[in-house]
Amino acid sequence: MAAGLTLGFLPLNDAAPLIVARDKGFFAAEGLDVTLRREASWATLRDKVAVGALDGAQLLAPLVLATSLGVGGEQTPMTAPMALNRNGAAVTLSRRLGEVAAGDAAGLARLIARRREEGASQLTFAVVFPYSIHNYLLRDWMAEAGIHPDRDVRLTVAPPARMTELLADGVIEGFCAGEPWNAAAVAWGAGKVAARSSSLAPDALDKVFAVTRAWGERRPEELAALLRTLMQAAAWAEAPENRVELASLLARRDNLDVAPDLISRGLTDLVFHGETTNVPTAPRVSALVESMARWGHVPSRDAALATGAEVFREDLLTAAG
Amino acid sequence: MRVLVIDPDPARAALVSEGLAGVDPLEVRHSPVFDETLVKAFAPDVVVVAADSPDRDTLESLREATQTNTRPVVMFVDRSEPGLAEEAVRAGVAAYVVDGLAPGRVRAVLEVALTRFALMHQLRQDLEKAQADLASRKTVEKAKALLMKERGLEEDAAYKLLRKLSMDTGRPLGAVAADLLAFAGVLKGDA
Repeated sequence: MAAGLTLGFLPLNDAAPLIVARDKGFFAAEGLDVTLRREASWATLRDKVAVGALDGAQLLAPLVLATSLGVGGEQTPMTAPMALNRNGAAVTLSRRLGEVAAGDAAGLARLIARRREEGASQLTFAVVFPYSIHNYLLRDWMAEAGIHPDRDVRLTVAPPARMTELLADGVIEGFCAGEPWNAAAVAWGAGKVAARSSSLAPDALDKVFAVTRAWGERRPEELAALLRTLMQAAAWAEAPENRVELASLLARRDNLDVAPDLISRGLTDLVFHGETTNVPTAPRVSALVESMARWGHVPSRDAALATGAEVFREDLLTAAG
Repeated sequence: MRVLVIDPDPARAALVSEGLAGVDPLEVRHSPVFDETLVKAFAPDVVVVAADSPDRDTLESLREATQTNTRPVVMFVDRSEPGLAEEAVRAGVAAYVVDGLAPGRVRAVLEVALTRFALMHQLRQDLEKAQADLASRKTVEKAKALLMKERGLEEDAAYKLLRKLSMDTGRPLGAVAADLLAFAGVLKGDA
């Protein structure tokens, strides 16, 4: 097949299908010459895919839809035929908060009400990106307990790898991020997991594999080959007998550069393959649009649904075989 | 011009300062990581952030939150991606500076970013004004209809009455119309 491809990822457990596909030789077996590049932020991944510095990348499903709609930045139509994972995101609260607020949303609501009466400052929470299910999960979790995320607390964005430090230093009182960063905060004694996406929204579309629509139309065979290999890699990562090896692969310095036991702890909740895990089905896309609309991230539901159908091409995944 | 450079690499930060020499007035601050207090206190015109800094997502979210106070973000890319700078500028991604670039080009890139920022700011203000104008026109139409109904006036006479009220009070037509509608609501018991 054609010249080498470069794909981007962020240091997260759910980058596993990309990392496994390279490190276990799935790309090579399919005749693909793939270089993986670790990036430091979602914005940089998005921009590099948009301008062609990367052929494709692991991206946040809401960010892919926002970029295709031209929300929050320049418009670039994207194609995302495959979801990389299910679950693996969690809400982690500081240990201090766990002690005074019982570590759940209802306790947090009571604490916030009390602090308001006392005239104390607002508590700060962090998510990984505005257009992320982490943002929506945290907001929904708070709203469920009667906390208004825009009025009652301060929401900010921070890189996942820095969450533990921010929590330990008391800069933030909680965060929602993907693994292994919840496991890391727990291991450091900085926080406690209050809720997991596996119970909050087990069907939510989190990370997807995305290319620009122009790239997908120009190179349909390579896209199909990439999807086929990523599916094999996802199946490998899902198999229980491979999980120990998976943790040590992800731990490598040029991959996540995090201790294997932390990665292992963060893997318990993660699903990479099976049933509709990798399929961006219409109901999952509708649920995504619903979350984005609830928090004012899409101008119109109808437009977002129409664009969503053009972006999340489960038919391309099926056709790739 | 106030420039904040967020880059873990002090050498690259120095390059930016060097490239900006000659800009007057100029104040450059360097921070290895994003620091909210610093950003608030310094209020930079431009934030230059390295593409390999994880803080880009935080800056991106600020752009989202502070629509009125948007600051352009300029990024560095490493040398292994030739042409990316030009591509990115064309695509509207603020601007990129290729790492290892001659300091002489830094200023030009920052100026492109600032110009683009000013343009986007202007476009946004124009849009807001157009939306406000449209809303005001709708209010005037409604107030006119109310006067026609309640006072049995012709359309033309209703408009003249509104305009007279506007001139007598020295307030914009839209504001007078809005007041009229609000009072009508009170009299009807809506509020």
